Amino acid sequence: MRAVDSRLRESLHAYACGAVSWCAPSGLVACMSEQAAPSAIRRSRLSVCAALLICACSLAFNPLPFESPVSRPAAVPAWATDATAVRQPSLAPRYRAGVFTYGCNDCHKILPAGAGDTVRTVIQHREIVLEHGINTWCLSCHHPVNRNAFVDDRGGEIPWNQPQRLCAKCHGPVYRDWQHGSHGRTNGYWDTTRGEQTRRRCIECHDPHRPPFPSMRPAPGPNTLRMGRQHGRDRHEAHHPLRIGGPGGGAGPHGTGLGEE
Amino acid sequence: MAHSREDKHESAPHSGQAAPEVSRRGFLAQGTAALAGASAVAAALSPLRHLAPGDVPTVEEFFQKHYKEMTDEEKRQVFARIRQAAEKRFGVELDLADPPPMDGVEFVYGLNISRCIGCRRCVHACVEENNQSRAPEIQYIRVLQMEKGSINVETADHHYDPPLVPDADKYYMPVQCHQCAKPPCVKVCPVEATWQEPDGITVIDYDWCIGCRYCEAACPYWARRFNFAEPEIPQEELNPNTAYLSNRPRQKGVMEKCTYCLQRTRVGRMPACVEVCPTGSRKFGNVLDPESEVAYILQHKRVYVLKEDVGTIPRFFYYFDERGSRYREPITADGPGGDA
Repeated sequence: MRAVDSRLRESLHAYACGAVSWCAPSGLVACMSEQAAPSAIRRSRLSVCAALLICACSLAFNPLPFESPVSRPAAVPAWATDATAVRQPSLAPRYRAGVFTYGCNDCHKILPAGAGDTVRTVIQHREIVLEHGINTWCLSCHHPVNRNAFVDDRGGEIPWNQPQRLCAKCHGPVYRDWQHGSHGRTNGYWDTTRGEQTRRRCIECHDPHRPPFPSMRPAPGPNTLRMGRQHGRDRHEAHHPLRIGGPGGGAGPHGTGLGEE
Repeated sequence: MAHSREDKHESAPHSGQAAPEVSRRGFLAQGTAALAGASAVAAALSPLRHLAPGDVPTVEEFFQKHYKEMTDEEKRQVFARIRQAAEKRFGVELDLADPPPMDGVEFVYGLNISRCIGCRRCVHACVEENNQSRAPEIQYIRVLQMEKGSINVETADHHYDPPLVPDADKYYMPVQCHQCAKPPCVKVCPVEATWQEPDGITVIDYDWCIGCRYCEAACPYWARRFNFAEPEIPQEELNPNTAYLSNRPRQKGVMEKCTYCLQRTRVGRMPACVEVCPTGSRKFGNVLDPESEVAYILQHKRVYVLKEDVGTIPRFFYYFDERGSRYREPITADGPGGDA
């Protein structure tokens, strides 16, 4: 209502000023030539003039102060502009258990690999939940003998610092796109002659054990149509300024946004 | 009543002609009308009392030349004045640069619709970088949540607010200035306050803009924004690294738009929206460099041009991956694509 109110006040002000400045001179003219007019008409003209005078004087003293429809800035949480990547993997063959950090081969040079299978049955590393589509077997990626390395298609070793070569075994088109930069996150300078460019590798965005990109909370939506109408609205409603009566009904984004208070 | 008028009539000096006859009634009525008129003028002028000091331009501001007509010396003076005004207004010392377009560079933007998750971080990174008004709110990027199955902006929603994105049944299409090669916004500008630079970026001289908003009406991508009120930016959020043609603080009543962050990109850096994108859906570069990411995208990916039929030849391209959205249900052994 506040926005409507102030709009109404503004237009009232404009109309009243306009009416007075048009009527007053014509009233003047009427008075100048009023000799022939009957006294009843004269009296009514006088009262119109007086009414206009009262109206104009009261407007001059600004009884309806202008109230800006611009609301306070909407708070934007700091995470909405945080450029930190979703994953910060250690990118080293290390295993953390509590306060201890082991190299993978510290245990696995004595522990044998399980028999070749397609179903993961482990008693260690239970915190790793493998949800990698049809890839349900640790040793599809990890090397059966040297745990500090990954395994390639011929059973050879892929060094731990080249994870993209492992992913490329199955994800050929994505690997090709990543090599050319159309897939994956590139930061820094587009002009590499002027500064450094960084390109994140597969596991710097995707968890290899659960590769889909994580869902996240969306940053606040546009606030532009909520000017002056934020009071008493919760956040959810506030982000649907065009929807009347909750998210279910109402106009689309290109419908009229006025007067749905 | 008639008696008093006659009295006055008699006492009034006249020379044969019908002299102006002033009766008490007439005098009162005329006086009232005159007073009403004067009051009306005062009332109509009363909003002028609310003029802020910055609302009336100074002589230097009024006679400032168009950006393209200024000599280097004049630019130096104007930039110094803008710095001074910004310091007075925000209490922040601006680093106001004017990076020229680079030779052999034409900027092109690629956006992977298959990968965008609609998290809106680009929107807010852009606001922070480009000093848009926080109240009333101005944002250059509008992230559309689209119905799967078609590219129909009529059914899009940019006020979506689920607890988590992406919604598996939707896809997301951020829209911002497309930096068209045939920009209708430039064509309609009656004062030539906006033009296309040699590197493809359409810029605005905010001090030359008259705020007629024709460009806003002409733009098919809803990319131009108008400062309806004095832009409000908290002092601690003002980005001091500015350029004359892009993110310097604007004033009330002028248009503004995305400039591909030219204060960053003309010195070789990525735009703010590219830097913040967590998914890497946003790609930016020099299309004239055949080794660039955007050149690869244009040559090898399936590319979509929004509203290609309007003939504006945008420098902003949406592209797709071979396999579509990967945030459906995970592939399982008994599901499609599985072994069983």
